[in-house]
Amino acid sequence: MAELKVKEITRKLEEIEKKIRAEVPWEPVGCTPMPEIPDLRSWDMRLLKTYAPFYAPFCDLCCFCTYGKCDLTETRRGACGIDIATQQARWVLLACLMGCSAHSSHAGHILEFLIERHGADKKIDLGGAVNIEAPHIRTVVGLKPETLGDLVVAIEYVYKELAHLLDSTNMGQEGSYLDYESKALHAGMLDHVGMEVADIAQIVGFGYPTSVADTPLVDLGWAAVDKSKPVILFVGHNPATSTVVVDYLRENDLYDKVEVAGICCTANETARYCDRLRVVGPFSRQLFFLRSGIADVIMTDEQCIRTDMPIEASRTGAALIATLDKAMYGLEDASAMDTEEIVKQMVDDKKHFAILEPRKAAEVAAKVAMQIAPLRRKEWLREEEAKELAQKCNVCGMCEQVCPNLFNIGAGIAEVAKGKFDLIREQFSLCVGCGKCEAECPRKIPIFKIMQVAASKESWKMRAGRGPIMDTEIRTVGAPITLGTIPGIVAFVGCSNYPDIRDLPEMVEEFAKRKYIVVVSGCAAMVVGMKKDAEGKTIYEKYPPNFDAGGVVNVGSCVANSHITGAAIKVVNIFAKLPLRGNYEVVADHTISRLGAVGVGWGVYSQKAVAIATGCNRLGIPVVLGPHSSKYRRLYLSKKEEGDWRVMDARKKEIVDSGEPSPEHLAYVTETKEKAMVMIPKLCIRKNDTPQGRAVKLNHYISLHKKYMGDGLPEDIHLFVRRDPDIPLVYKKEVREHLQRIGWKPKEPVGLPTLIGTYPSKVPVDAVIH
Amino acid sequence: MSATIPRHRVNVLTGIKSGRLIEDPAEYADLIRRAKRPLLVIGPLVLTSMLDGKPLLEYALDIAKAAGIPICATAQTRGRIVELGVQPDCVYDAVEIINALKDPGWRGVKKEGNHDLVMFLGVRSDLGTQGLSTLKHFAPHLKTMALCKHYFPHANYSLPNFRKDEQWKAFLDSLISNLKKGE
Repeated sequence: MAELKVKEITRKLEEIEKKIRAEVPWEPVGCTPMPEIPDLRSWDMRLLKTYAPFYAPFCDLCCFCTYGKCDLTETRRGACGIDIATQQARWVLLACLMGCSAHSSHAGHILEFLIERHGADKKIDLGGAVNIEAPHIRTVVGLKPETLGDLVVAIEYVYKELAHLLDSTNMGQEGSYLDYESKALHAGMLDHVGMEVADIAQIVGFGYPTSVADTPLVDLGWAAVDKSKPVILFVGHNPATSTVVVDYLRENDLYDKVEVAGICCTANETARYCDRLRVVGPFSRQLFFLRSGIADVIMTDEQCIRTDMPIEASRTGAALIATLDKAMYGLEDASAMDTEEIVKQMVDDKKHFAILEPRKAAEVAAKVAMQIAPLRRKEWLREEEAKELAQKCNVCGMCEQVCPNLFNIGAGIAEVAKGKFDLIREQFSLCVGCGKCEAECPRKIPIFKIMQVAASKESWKMRAGRGPIMDTEIRTVGAPITLGTIPGIVAFVGCSNYPDIRDLPEMVEEFAKRKYIVVVSGCAAMVVGMKKDAEGKTIYEKYPPNFDAGGVVNVGSCVANSHITGAAIKVVNIFAKLPLRGNYEVVADHTISRLGAVGVGWGVYSQKAVAIATGCNRLGIPVVLGPHSSKYRRLYLSKKEEGDWRVMDARKKEIVDSGEPSPEHLAYVTETKEKAMVMIPKLCIRKNDTPQGRAVKLNHYISLHKKYMGDGLPEDIHLFVRRDPDIPLVYKKEVREHLQRIGWKPKEPVGLPTLIGTYPSKVPVDAVIH
Repeated sequence: MSATIPRHRVNVLTGIKSGRLIEDPAEYADLIRRAKRPLLVIGPLVLTSMLDGKPLLEYALDIAKAAGIPICATAQTRGRIVELGVQPDCVYDAVEIINALKDPGWRGVKKEGNHDLVMFLGVRSDLGTQGLSTLKHFAPHLKTMALCKHYFPHANYSLPNFRKDEQWKAFLDSLISNLKKGE
């Protein structure tokens, strides 16, 4: 048996070596090229020892199999033997798999589409400033991809692992919550590979901007949409069809005659292809904009598109084309039908279709939009009309009971009925756009229509996504980030399920002003732009687009999130000079021990977001989440000073108890933006900070604490002061007095802190030293 | 009040254990008085909510004072609590205090042992529900009590869904009076 296993392992390794062209010596192959489930398990378990899973069950039951429903309350177990903690971990894994599948399937589709167009030999060229083209693929897969065809190797590896992981969630499989968490972390890591494949393919295949920071400023907001023209609206994430529509309009002299607009990440993507695209806004404004009736033709692709889109399109007389097989809404597949016949049926019979052939979908969209636009009313509701509609409200409170953001829209509607609009304008900032209130209203009051009077008619600017962070930028900031003199990289990512949409620009500006490197993506990248200062400038116009202290960088859509984590990996390679190839553990160890980076998902709601966050966590990047994210069921929290903070001093080869909870948590939910703004600088603290760097970080931690928590020092400040030089100058006296009062003792900073060496691993401690 | 449970539990919709609904402030006061190591967790909604012109935070502090209950300030509540002349016994965020509470070996904010009754006031209801779910499943060593205006099924003890603020205010006023009587 043992011999068989050795043969199997040898064969598997040979296969991997062949796939990654191991003989090409760009770097030595590390311990885990194309890792499978067990390969990084020890790393995961080490993380989970300090950052134990914290579960908040969303449901007490399991209803996956026909033995159930099984009640798992407290110490009960299901018919299969599963307990409540393991069931939560299983849910989290499933969510990560959904998210990773969405991104990876997007990657696979777009790759196929672009290989069909350009050929598998199309070279990957991300411009002169990006030589490390694929940090995730290099690190995880062990391959340096040179062509679109090489990306197929990476995505096929992801698909294979996804099948294994999904298998483990079947009834009667995994029985340990920790192992499910390890699998979730594996899925999260794969997610970043999948996202990277997608975005590299798109940059190469569509000619998106790359190796440039100063990308165009595009129009943002529904008011930017010229509704006097026919309007085609893209909704979703996959730009295969939207880019073909733009091409079609250009080629047929319609570019100036038809308005193209987008919601959610297809908007982000298409804005990288065509700077005339109007970015309507984030996901939370989807239903609102659809019901405004401004879009003549709605084209859906995939992810974060409303599942009742045919109903919503029909409600305003818009035409709907579903362009991808993932969401066909039960519509007739007209891909093989005659174009003119489709147009006729859409215009005359108001029929919606699925058209999976992009060129045909583009032609139909343009023709239908031109024909139906003149026939449709596209005016915003007037205040008098809103007042009349609102007068049916009897303030029953049903709308408040179903609101996921817990506010009383009924009170706003009642005010509108009196001709007062201040409250509903305020409430529009709180609205997450689900439409449950309107669905629940017993009097069928069109709340979303009434909201048209509340919505700002302002338009803003968003900087188009720029893809990867340039190697040249990493060279400039690598040292100050690692030493701590740039206090951190803060990435505001993800969806728009915010407690208040106005939080995000405020948070971004706070950290940009403080000279953190701020990175944004996805819907967050849009929301950040939706505020102007007294001079009428948005954040994108006020702060430089460079990946540098005080810069605000939009990397692009959801899949461009891989460039944010990719930048962390690049720091490890370019600054710390550690090899990436199949070397995930070393890279992740470096990140958690020495790189002050934090992700912020203030409004995340989707499964993709939990996959992204979990991928950040495996890579050693902590994530701060908004209050809704408690519904993801799981966090990774330390026990602060009571936790295990032992590290290996790689220089002395000694395990030392640092006693310093840095980073304190890996996945953390907080209730208010104020608290988040105090937690973010704290999570940027790393054991490797120089005294100067630590003083800079503590300066921000203390000053933000004073600003948002009231006067006085943070209660845990003593845990982060190693020696007197760590204390920021401006707070020297106050901190010294406090430390003296509580009997604080100085401690030696750890020379070269690493987790490797504190748990069983194939990776030798020397691997963390260049 | 327990949920109404169908005869066959495979048909239960959401779980079988739900909080006892208590409408009598005297009963609430009695439960609090009987606790050996109670804790009051204060959430940020106390900073913005008013009951008949009196800030909800003042109700929280009155309850704590009347029964000598230590306070945990979450989110950004610490600053305002200090301004009102009260020093919170600890400052944690909601998920951090819940994480600590679910460890039976935790020594509590007074270092005298983990708490046996944890009361919540002013945490937004979705986060509060999730946190109470954590404690229901993973902290059998303690009881939880909600003081907010609505019913929280994951708490051991909860108020009903008050339609009007006046009802809630009357409950809190009476609770404070009852707690004072036991001083």
